[in-house]
Amino acid sequence: MKLIVPYLTKPLVLTGGALAFGWLLVAVLAPLIAPYDPLQTLQPLAKPMAHGAKGEFFLLGTDMLGRDIFSRLVWGARTVVIYATLATLTAYAFGLLFGLIAGYAGGRTDAVLSFLANVVLSFPVLVLYIVIIVVIGASPVNIVIAVTFSSAPAIFRIVRGITIDVASRDFVKAAITQGESTLRILFVDILPNTTGPLAVDFCLRLGYTAITIGTLGFLGLGLPPPTPDWGGMVNEGRAMAIAFPHLVIFPCIAISSLTLGLSLLADGLREVNDAKERQA
Amino acid sequence: MTEYKTLSGAPLHPEAEALTTRLARGEIDRRGFLRAMAWLGVAVGSASAFGGKAFAEETPKDGGTLRFACQIQEITDPMMTNWIEASNLFRNSLEFLTYVDENNITHPYLAKSWTPSADLTVWDFELDERAKWSNGDAFQPEDVIFNIERWIAPDSQSSNKTAFGAISRVEKTGDHSVRITLSRPMASLPEQLYSYTCPIVHRGFKGNWPAEPVGTGPFALVSHEVGRQSVFQKRPDYWGTHARLDEIQYIDLGPDVTTHLAALSSGQVDVIYRATIAEYDLMKSLPNIQILSAKGANTIVLRMQVDQKPFDDIRVRQAVVLAANNQQMLDVAYRGRGDLGANYHVSPTQADYFSLPATPRDVEKAKALLAEAGHADGVDIELTLGNTQGKWEQDTAQVLQQNLAEAGIRLKLNVLPASQYWPIWNKVPFGLTFWAHRPLGTMTLDLAYRSGGSWNESRFASPEFDAALDKAMAVVDPEARKIAMQEVERILQDNAVMVQPFWPERLSAAAEKVRGFVLHPSDYFRMDSVWIA
Amino acid sequence: MYLGMFLLRKLAIALATMLVVSFLIFLALEVNVEDVAVKVLGQYSTVEQRAAWLAQNGYNDPFALRYIRWLGHFVAGDWGMSTFFRAPVVEIVMPRLAASAILAGGALLVIVVFGLGLGVLAGMRPGSLLDRVISVFSVVTTSIPDFASAVFLSGIFVFWLGLLPGASTMISGLSLAELILPVSVLGLYSMGYLARVTRASMVDVMNTHYIRTARLKGAGMGRIVLRHALRNALITPVTVIMLQLPWLLSGVIVVEVFYAYKGFGTLLYDAALNQDIYLIEACAMISVLVVVLSQILSDLIYGWLNPRIALVGAKA
Repeated sequence: MKLIVPYLTKPLVLTGGALAFGWLLVAVLAPLIAPYDPLQTLQPLAKPMAHGAKGEFFLLGTDMLGRDIFSRLVWGARTVVIYATLATLTAYAFGLLFGLIAGYAGGRTDAVLSFLANVVLSFPVLVLYIVIIVVIGASPVNIVIAVTFSSAPAIFRIVRGITIDVASRDFVKAAITQGESTLRILFVDILPNTTGPLAVDFCLRLGYTAITIGTLGFLGLGLPPPTPDWGGMVNEGRAMAIAFPHLVIFPCIAISSLTLGLSLLADGLREVNDAKERQA
Repeated sequence: MTEYKTLSGAPLHPEAEALTTRLARGEIDRRGFLRAMAWLGVAVGSASAFGGKAFAEETPKDGGTLRFACQIQEITDPMMTNWIEASNLFRNSLEFLTYVDENNITHPYLAKSWTPSADLTVWDFELDERAKWSNGDAFQPEDVIFNIERWIAPDSQSSNKTAFGAISRVEKTGDHSVRITLSRPMASLPEQLYSYTCPIVHRGFKGNWPAEPVGTGPFALVSHEVGRQSVFQKRPDYWGTHARLDEIQYIDLGPDVTTHLAALSSGQVDVIYRATIAEYDLMKSLPNIQILSAKGANTIVLRMQVDQKPFDDIRVRQAVVLAANNQQMLDVAYRGRGDLGANYHVSPTQADYFSLPATPRDVEKAKALLAEAGHADGVDIELTLGNTQGKWEQDTAQVLQQNLAEAGIRLKLNVLPASQYWPIWNKVPFGLTFWAHRPLGTMTLDLAYRSGGSWNESRFASPEFDAALDKAMAVVDPEARKIAMQEVERILQDNAVMVQPFWPERLSAAAEKVRGFVLHPSDYFRMDSVWIA
Repeated sequence: MYLGMFLLRKLAIALATMLVVSFLIFLALEVNVEDVAVKVLGQYSTVEQRAAWLAQNGYNDPFALRYIRWLGHFVAGDWGMSTFFRAPVVEIVMPRLAASAILAGGALLVIVVFGLGLGVLAGMRPGSLLDRVISVFSVVTTSIPDFASAVFLSGIFVFWLGLLPGASTMISGLSLAELILPVSVLGLYSMGYLARVTRASMVDVMNTHYIRTARLKGAGMGRIVLRHALRNALITPVTVIMLQLPWLLSGVIVVEVFYAYKGFGTLLYDAALNQDIYLIEACAMISVLVVVLSQILSDLIYGWLNPRIALVGAKA
């Protein structure tokens, strides 16, 4: 409890957390929340708050194909949250593993891994995605692969830095002299020290990934239709945005609020971490 | 009653006499009468007979530059063109033997007259002796022979090879005359010669036009850059009536029509090639633009290749057609702005249309047919499309996806970028292809469904169909032609080759100051009479 | 002398990076020769056509040999033919790169002026109303994806108010009016991040001993900021600006596609949509090169602003 309490007293953390976890909840509970099938044609171009001919209620209106926008947003949350989270987590798995190894082993291993990380990092993110998608095509799994590939090196760098720092401390040295296994040192002694900065990075990265997945959808390089996808919804609706602004405003709000929540959360976490460090 | 004369001064064709009598009796309508008369080489005057456009009282002005937003594609060999956008670039510098106006009436162009034999198999074309190439050469019968022989050569890859498959001989019969001999009668030959793959190139043409842009047309190519822009300038030494505009700039604004309208609304371009239903409300909200709209025989065809699994089983194709809800596709994907299709690819706007009713939708029957064909648990199929005309193609496919799901057909959509779709349009087993307007149903069907035709994307092959089509193509009388078409349409519909859901209304927009720009039903835009107020 | 060593070292690393990157790109796009043939000749070309093409173009040689030959050609400026534009890749890429440089330069200018400006203003008096307003603004703008702001800005300024041109083709030469919207979209998304970094850095500097002393001595705020704080506070942000370049390049793709701007971004996008393999290779190589060069530049600027670091770097 003591660990969590300082976070909960921060308004930034609370607001950001509410937004981010709100969307997470929506994604998980999508089948319960969405009133309609996100793919089903009900009534084309109903305005927000309109009632359908069969007594339906369209909270956020319907799109050109008559699909309920609220339901599509809710299911779209699932697309974004699930794929962005999954992709970021996979990136973390690789980034952590290699970061720990590089930071702890040092020497040539570190030099090679760091160099490779720099190589991948010198690709602009969208360029990297486009190349990957050209080679292996656009599908949910491939988007996860692309995100992993482009995010892991950045995580690697953070973990490596912290590992070098922690590894030089006395308690790790003591553990080595006591003959603890390398695995145990890496995962029990060093890993927990990285959580603070990584939590901040995680939130920011999740936000960027959500935006990038949206951007791919917007460029028509994302998930194939009719999968509900926020970026794709903006793209599909923008020709009609002047007459029917609800087609693009709501997906934009959705993607922005998720990213905003995540960056507020990151800011809050950082403040608390900094305060803790000052106390220590 | 009006006296009709032929363009050549030759006596009227016997069919022309018959048509005149039938018109007088009220058995055929005036429009159908005029187009049939034109095929027979009769002078029918200008299109203004149907009521001129607005602005008719204004005096046209010379000069100025027109900026036209459209995709700038590679242009090489005119007869190989498969994008109408590209053909419109050629149209400025290259001319055709005939010209078909927006009312589907055929007029003289490089050929000033034509006279068919009584059985419609021997056609004498008289060429305009004033016509000149931009390199100074005179336009000669040799040019025409060179072109037609290229089209129908054994190794020709052009769609003209199918369209003019009936041509057996082409020969010079005088300093300015050419004779085309056909193996079977073809009443609409003059009209066919304005197809977008038929611009007449110089007899020395080597295969890549922009490298040596010689033409007889009113404009000369100044520069052409794929994906960027193409510029044409007025030719002061043009042989015919000079164009009004000094310069035309075709500008590539990317694939997105919203951007085109944004550019139009802010005065960066004067005409856009095409708008879609999605932009309709946006267009209505823009001041200072004119919305152009027209109905034509342009459509999308979701055709199945009859020799590919699972479509080689007619029951699967029938199930797809029976489960499809054409009305819903029209209502949802095109917001009801168009006419319903009945899956045989002949439009009510085409002169030879026979009104064959649609088979009513029947999901239960579709399920039963599938079960009979061994797909009791449903079937997985994939539709490939390229949104070549806009996102409504994909919207239509998404409605179809829902329709088919009701019958247990799981449709997967494979959406490609437009430029990726055209290279494979006639190769995918199940594809959504846009078909441009053609004045006659027979012209489309001859290209698209005749056994072994180069544009036969469904690989439909039926001697019965070919024979019925031949019969229809030989008829001049509009009413008799319609009757002959009934059989053609029925065979196509019965064989469940395609879902052809609707005939979308065509939309486009231009700046208010643009005059004389007519939304030709085939999107064949001749720019020589366009001017800027 | 130190600078020379430093530069040499950095260039060596950059060269090695480019070498590995080129190998990765070549590996990804050309390891499967059958795929290459399909991309160049089309999905439905016949097996014989592909086999003939592969043999004709040396694709039956071992991979290593093909890579070395490709690299040699690339360095020599022979980047192959674009299958979509039907022109030598190098001739297409260069003018497009120049066009994008104008766009990115404009955006960078906006980002630097507004990002630094807002950051300094906010960091001067942490906790003040101005600080809070700027902080909220910068968090919110970084949360709005550039495609969303493009849709809204176009809706307002092109269709609704009719004030700005809606397409930025630059077909008839450089037009400042056509640059406003794309530059604003890029600027809006990226300036917030810079503002936040600048603010943090500024707050740190304002808390240092010597600034506090200066304030106690009664020096004016403006004077303190200009004379003492700025140089130190700007070290981090300036480095960050250069590191933002990869992000800016990504943003450029979206904005160029949206506004039909004929730059490097639309080129890469068209290349990707059309599976234009040689063009993609060249575009990817160039984007990486731009990033690598910007990193060297960033190191140089950092060293110039903070000479002690350069020494350390050179010694290492």
